[in-house]
Amino acid sequence: MKKVIMKFGGTSVGTGENIRQVANIVTHYSKEYRITVVVSALAGVTNKLLEIACQAKKGDEKLVKTFTDELLQKHKETVTSAITSKVLQEKVNQIIEEIIVELGKVLTGICYVGELTAKSKDYVVSFGERLSAPIVWGTIQDHNLETQCFTGREAGIVTDSNFGEADPLMNFTIHLVRERLGPLLEKGVIPVVTGFIAANQDGVVTTVGRGGSDYTATILGVALSVNEVWIWTDVDGILTTDPKLVSTARLLPQLSYQEAAEMAIFGAKAMHPRALGPVSKENIPVRIRNTFQPENLGTLITKEPISNTEQAVKAVAMIKNVAMLNVNGATMVGAPGSYAKVFDTLGKNNINIMMIATAISEANISVIIKRSMLSRAISNIEIALSERGGLVSEVTAEDDVAVIAVVGAYMKGSLGLASKIFDIVAKKGINIRMIAQGSSESNISFVVKEKDGIEIVKAIHEEFNLDKT
Amino acid sequence: MRIILVGYGVVGKGVTTILAKRYTEKIASYGFSPKVVAIADVDGAVINPRGFSPEKLEKFKQKGYPISADPDFGHPSMPVLEVIESVEAEVVVEVTPVNIKNAEPALSYITKAFKTGKHVVTTNKGPLALAMPALTELAEHNNVFLRFSGTVGGGTPMLEFAKRCLAGDKILAIQGILNGTTNYILSEMGQSHISFQEALANAQKLGYAEREPSMDIDGFDTACKTVILSNWIMGKKITLKEVDITGIREVTLEMLQNAAKNRNTIKLLGTIDDNGAIVKPAEVSWTNPLCVSGVLNAVTFQTEYSADQTLIGRGAGGIETANAVLRDLLDIRHKLASKLLS
Repeated sequence: MKKVIMKFGGTSVGTGENIRQVANIVTHYSKEYRITVVVSALAGVTNKLLEIACQAKKGDEKLVKTFTDELLQKHKETVTSAITSKVLQEKVNQIIEEIIVELGKVLTGICYVGELTAKSKDYVVSFGERLSAPIVWGTIQDHNLETQCFTGREAGIVTDSNFGEADPLMNFTIHLVRERLGPLLEKGVIPVVTGFIAANQDGVVTTVGRGGSDYTATILGVALSVNEVWIWTDVDGILTTDPKLVSTARLLPQLSYQEAAEMAIFGAKAMHPRALGPVSKENIPVRIRNTFQPENLGTLITKEPISNTEQAVKAVAMIKNVAMLNVNGATMVGAPGSYAKVFDTLGKNNINIMMIATAISEANISVIIKRSMLSRAISNIEIALSERGGLVSEVTAEDDVAVIAVVGAYMKGSLGLASKIFDIVAKKGINIRMIAQGSSESNISFVVKEKDGIEIVKAIHEEFNLDKT
Repeated sequence: MRIILVGYGVVGKGVTTILAKRYTEKIASYGFSPKVVAIADVDGAVINPRGFSPEKLEKFKQKGYPISADPDFGHPSMPVLEVIESVEAEVVVEVTPVNIKNAEPALSYITKAFKTGKHVVTTNKGPLALAMPALTELAEHNNVFLRFSGTVGGGTPMLEFAKRCLAGDKILAIQGILNGTTNYILSEMGQSHISFQEALANAQKLGYAEREPSMDIDGFDTACKTVILSNWIMGKKITLKEVDITGIREVTLEMLQNAAKNRNTIKLLGTIDDNGAIVKPAEVSWTNPLCVSGVLNAVTFQTEYSADQTLIGRGAGGIETANAVLRDLLDIRHKLASKLLS
C-alpha cells in the first residue's frame, strides 16, 4: 500500500467543523493509503502563545490565568463541535485540561523569573500543536479509524539545540521514526503527529522555525519513505500570480522543487524552501491541496517539471512593503571587504537583505530590505560606516518601491527573455530602479515604484500567456 | 586516557589483559596511559576514578563474576547507563553481546556516552548494523569519535586499510569472506568431503561455531559487516534491513563437488556495489586471492585506479578483537592530541 504524509495547516484545523472535514479526508484516503497526519496549531494560537509569553515576562500573573482560561474554552468548544461521541469528547477534554495546567505553570514560571529565553519560548509555543493534535486524533477516532497521537519528540524527531530554528539530525531521526511509527503504519494505525515541534537529544522541546509544520511533514516523509507528502491548506495550490492583483491568475498543476523554492516569496501560501530541503534530496513529490476543495488535485512539486510545455515563465509576483537602500562611497571602490562591512552592519542589527545589486564600478550598492526596517538600517549604516573618511559617503533610500519577480525553471538559457520582460515595462513608460538575476537564471527580479507594480504584473502575466494553459 | 569498559565477557576481559600487558611493556613511554576507571556489566560495576592497576585488573579476571562484589570498588546492581553518565572518563569501550533485533542495550549505552561527551570504541556489530548512519551523525553532532575496527576483520585492519591506505582512490566495490565460522564449514565440506551437518558439528566441537549458530550460518554476521563496510568505506547509508541475505544452510556437498570440477569452490560472500548490498554463497575460482580456507577472512577492494587489493587475515577471536580496541583507542588519542594542539 502506498504511504502518504498529510499535513493540515492552521485554517484546516481552525474550527471543529473544519476538523471534521480533515477527518473526512483522512477517512476517504485511508482505504488507499497508509496515512501519517501532521497538524498545525489552531489558527492564531501560536501567535497568541508568543504574545502571552512576552507579557508573562513582565510579571503579570493575572493575565496568565485569563489567557489559559480562554485557551481552554476555545479548545473545548472545538472539541464539542468536532467530536460526536461523548466518551471521546470526555477523553480529549481531559488531555487538553492537563496540557493547559502545564502551560499555566510554565507561564507562571516565566512571570516569576522575568525572563524568556529562546529555549522557554520554544516550550511555550509548542503548546499550540500539543493542544490541536489530540482533537484531530479524537475526531479521526470518532470516524472509527485506529489512530495514535504523538508529539514531534515522541515520534522521534531529534534536532540540534538551536532553539527557535532547530535542524533535524536527519539520520538519527530516520532511525527513531522508522522504529516508532513504522510498525504502526504496517498495522494500519494512523499516527497523528504535532507539526513544528521536536526535541533535542536530551528531550528538551525545540521548534523547527521557518518552514514550520511543512518542515515536520517533509522530515517525516523522508523518514518513512512515503510516496508523496500532501500539504492541505486553504488555497487550491500555487498560482501564476496573486489572484487579488490579476483576476485571470491560474493554478499551476506542476512545479519543480527549485521553482517552488523561488516562489516562497509569494508568501505564506507557498512552501518555505527549508521545508522542501529533505524531500528534494530524496526525490519525494509534494502536493499542495485545498482542504475545502478536496476533489482538486492542487499543485504537484517534483524534481523535474513534468510540464509538457516549454513555457519559460511560470509565475510572476509583486513583493510589497519593501524599501530600497542605496549605499554610496568612493572609498568602497577596489577595497576588499567593503561590502562585507555593509552587510555585517545590517546583519548585526537583525535586518534581512532580500535582494542586492551593484555595478562593476563598485561605488554604489543597492539592497532591498523590509520597509519597516528602513530607518533602522539607514541609522546604523550612518553610525557605523560614515564617520569622517569612512567607507560610506552617502546613504539614500526609496520606500515607495516594490519588487517584481518573474520565475520559471526553463528561463535558464532562454534567449531574449530579459529583453522581452523589460520591453513590456518600457512600453508602459515605467522606469526600472534596480535589477537582479542569479546565475541559476530561474528568477529575474527588478524594482519599480510600488504604484506601477500592479500594472506591470498584469502586463507580464498577459504577455507571457500565464492565464492560458 | 580514562576508560569505562562496558561488558565483561571474552572481549572485555581481553581488553583488560591487553591494556595491563601493554602498560607493563611501557607503552606509557609513547605517551599513552590508558586507565580503566570503571568496568560495568549487567549485574553492577567496579569504579575507581584513579584507574585500576594492572594487578587489580588481573585480580578481577581471576575472581570472575560478579565483579561488582569487590569490597573496595564494587557497586552491585548499579545500572550501566548510570555508570556511563556519572563516571568521568574520555572513552567508553562497549563490548557487550550482539543483538541484531533492536541492538539494545548497546545502542542506549553508545548514545548515552555520546550525549555525555564521551568517545566510543565498540566491537558490537548490532548497533552499527541497525543504526550506523544515525550513530555516526550523533557522534559528529556531539563532537566525539566513534571507532569500531574490531567489528570487521577482527585483528586484521580491514577498515583502516580501506579508509587510510586507499584514501584518494575511489572504491567501486567490496567483496569478501567476512565470517570465519562459515568459511571453516565450507572449507571442511570441500576438503574432507563431508556434509554441512557434519562440518557444522566439527566447527562446534572446535569452538568455531556457537551452539546456536544462526548468526553465522544464516549470513547475519556477514551482513552486519557488509553494512559497516558499506557505510564507512563507501559512504552508502544502509542498514541491515536493506541487505539481501542468504546463508549457507542450503549448500550441499554435491554443489561443492560440481564447483570443484570447474576449479571453483563455494564461499559465503558479502558484496557491495552499485546494485546494493548482498550476502550469499557463490562460486569463487581457486586462483582468486579471495579463495582462503579455514577460519581466515579475506576482502577485496575494487578501486578505480589501484585495481583490486585483497587483504587476508584471521577473523574475530576474543584477543584479536581486544587488540582492535587498543588500536582504536590509540587512534582516538592521536586524533584528540592533534585537536587539542591545533
